Amino acid sequence: MNKLRYATALAGVAAIALSSTVGYLSAAEYKIGAAMAQTGALAPYDQPGLAGFKLGIKDLNAKGGIGGMATVTLEVIDTRSDTAATVNAAQKLIDDGVQFLITPGDADPSIAAGQIGQAAGIPMLNLAGSPSLTPAVGDYMFISYPSDTVQSAALASYATETGYKTAFLLKSPDSAYTSKFPDYFGEAFKKKGGSVVGEASYSMGQPDFSAVVSQIKGLAPQPDVIMTTAYEPDFPAFIKQLRGAGVKIPVIESDAIGTPTVYGLGSVVDGVVQSSAGFPTPGSGMEAFNKRFKEETGHDAETSYEAAGYEWAQLLDAAARKAGSLEPAKIRDALASLEDVQTVLGKVTYAGTERVALRDVAIIRIEGGKPTFLKLYRPTKEEIPNP
Amino acid sequence: MEFVQYLVNILSLGGIYALLALGLAIVFSIVGLINFAHGELMTIAGYLIVLSLSFGLPLPVVLLVACLGAALSAVLMDRIAFRPMRSASVTTLMITSFGVSTICKVLFQNGVSARGRAVALPEWMSGTLTFGGFQIGMVPLTSIVLTALALIGLDIFLRKTTLGVAMRAASEDFVMVSLLGLRANTVIATSFAISGLLAGIAAILWISQRGSVDPLMGFTPVLKAFIAAIIGGLGSLRGAVLGGFVLGALEVGSEPFLTIGTAPYRDAIVLLAVVLLLLVKPDGLLPAVRGVRS
Repeated sequence: MNKLRYATALAGVAAIALSSTVGYLSAAEYKIGAAMAQTGALAPYDQPGLAGFKLGIKDLNAKGGIGGMATVTLEVIDTRSDTAATVNAAQKLIDDGVQFLITPGDADPSIAAGQIGQAAGIPMLNLAGSPSLTPAVGDYMFISYPSDTVQSAALASYATETGYKTAFLLKSPDSAYTSKFPDYFGEAFKKKGGSVVGEASYSMGQPDFSAVVSQIKGLAPQPDVIMTTAYEPDFPAFIKQLRGAGVKIPVIESDAIGTPTVYGLGSVVDGVVQSSAGFPTPGSGMEAFNKRFKEETGHDAETSYEAAGYEWAQLLDAAARKAGSLEPAKIRDALASLEDVQTVLGKVTYAGTERVALRDVAIIRIEGGKPTFLKLYRPTKEEIPNP
Repeated sequence: MEFVQYLVNILSLGGIYALLALGLAIVFSIVGLINFAHGELMTIAGYLIVLSLSFGLPLPVVLLVACLGAALSAVLMDRIAFRPMRSASVTTLMITSFGVSTICKVLFQNGVSARGRAVALPEWMSGTLTFGGFQIGMVPLTSIVLTALALIGLDIFLRKTTLGVAMRAASEDFVMVSLLGLRANTVIATSFAISGLLAGIAAILWISQRGSVDPLMGFTPVLKAFIAAIIGGLGSLRGAVLGGFVLGALEVGSEPFLTIGTAPYRDAIVLLAVVLLLLVKPDGLLPAVRGVRS
C-alpha cells in the first residue's frame, strides 16, 4: 500500500514536472536583463527609467508579448552606481541567459557593461546620452535618449532664433555630460554664426559659486546667454547665487534639470530654458503615458525618464516585428535600421546613424515653477556636431 | 572692495565648515569616534525642512524642527549603533559610522526618493543687501551671523554650565570624569545632541545655498569637516573651528589664482596645502589637550 502510494506520488511529481516543462517551452519567453542603478548617484535617472520600462513590458505582454512572439520577463540587478558592480551585474545577467541588456544611465558604467554585452552579442540600450558611448562599445550598443549632440544642436537653433549672438559656457570636467555637452553646444552655436565669449569651470558638489558669479559679472560686454549642463545640486546652487548677485543674463540648460527640484526653486529659475526628450502637450503620446503611469503606479511621472524607459519596450517590439525573429543578432540589425518608429515621446530613427537616435527635442521654458512648452526641434544630421 | 567680497565668502563658507568640524570634534574628543554619518544628520535636517515647510509652518518653527530633529537623530544614532560598540577601537567605530551612513543613504533613496527635493525657502533668503555700493547676499550674511551665534552659544555652554564643564573635562580625560561620579552616558548623549544641533544649523546654511535636499548630499560636507578637523587637530574644539575657517580661506582664496585649466584641480591644490601644513604641524594647528596618566 505504502509502496503504491509512493509510486503514485512519484508519478504525480513527474507529471507536474513534465507539464511545467512543456508549458515553459510552449509559451516562449524573451528574457531582458536590467543592470541599472537603483541606489547611488545614478538612481535619480535609472529608478524612473526602470519604472517606465516595467510598465512598457507589462503593456507589451498584455498585447501578446514582444513582436507577438514571446512573453517578456525582466531580471533586475541593482548596480549601486558602481562600475565594478555594474560589470558583475552585466556578467551575471548574461550568464542567466538574457537576450537583451539595459545598462546604467551614464557612459562610464555603460561602456564597462557594454564590453561584456558586445562580446556576448547581446544588444543593449540605456538612458545615457553621451554619443561617445556607441563607438566606445561597438555595434551592439544603442542610445535611445536624445544624445548630448542632438540636444546641443536643438539648443543652438533655439539660441540663434532667439537672437543670441554671444554665449558663456559653464562646465565641469567631472563628467562627459557636464564638460562635452556645453562644448557641443558651442560648436553648434558657432556653426550658426554665434560665438563663445568665455567659459568657467566648477567641481560637482561644490556649494560655492561666488567665483564663477563674479567672473560672469565682470564680463564686458555681458554675454547674451549663459549655457550650462550643470544639474542637481550644482545648478540650483549656481542659479540661486547668480540671480542673488543680480545677474539677469538668460540661462539655457539641458534635460537633466527637468525635475520637480529645479522647478520648485521659485523665481530664480523663471525664464530658464532647457531641452528635453519630450513635453506632455495636450493630446501627445507623453501626456497619455504620464496619465497611464499615474494610474498604474499611484504617483506622477516626475521626469521624462519614465517615458524614456517605457519607450524601450516600444523600440524592442518594433525591432522584433521588423526582424521577425528574437535572435539577438537579428534584433540588433533590425534596431539599427528602424525608421520613424512612433513611441510615447515621438518618432525615433536609427537608420543611417551610429546607433544614436535621431529624434525630436523639446525646448521648454520654466515659468512660475512650471515647465511651459516652447518648440519642438528635429536637428538634421548636418546640424548635429560630431562627437 | 574685492577683498571684502572674498572675506565675506571666506567667513560664510568657513563658518559652515567650522560648524561641521566642531560637530565631528565634539564627539571625537569624548568617544573617540569619527562619525562619518554626520552628513546624514544634515540630510535628515534637510528632509525635516521640506516636510515642515509642506505643512505650512512658519520659518522659525521650521528651522527649529530641523535643528532639534537632527539633534534627536544624533542621540538615537548613538543609542542604536554606537553605544553597543563603546569599548571598540577607533577603526571599528569609524567603520560602524560608515555603515550607519550607508544604511541612512539607502533608506533615504528607497524610503523618500532617489531624486532630490526642492527646498522652497522664502525668496528673501536668496536676495542681496546693498551697503554703500557693496553687495552682500542674504545667504552668506545669514551664514556668518548664525555661525557666530552658534559658536558663542556653544562657548557659553561649555564654560558656564556643569554639563559643559563635564564635557570639556571628559574630552581631556574621560576615565577621570567617570571616576568623579558623572554619568558617562549623559555626557556622551549630550555630545551627540550638540553635534546633531550643529549639523542641523550647518544643514540650514548649506541647503539655503544649494536649494535642494537629496539622499547623498551629506558626503561632501562631512568630508570637508573631516579635513577641517584634521587641520585644526583632531579632537580639539577650538582647533576644529580654526580648521574650518582655514579650509574655507584656502578654497575661496585659491579661486583668483585658478585658470580654466587649473580650476578642476582646486580640491587637489587645497589638499596639497593641507598636507604641507600637516608636515609642519603634524598634530594640527591647535592640538587637543589630553590628560596623561603615568
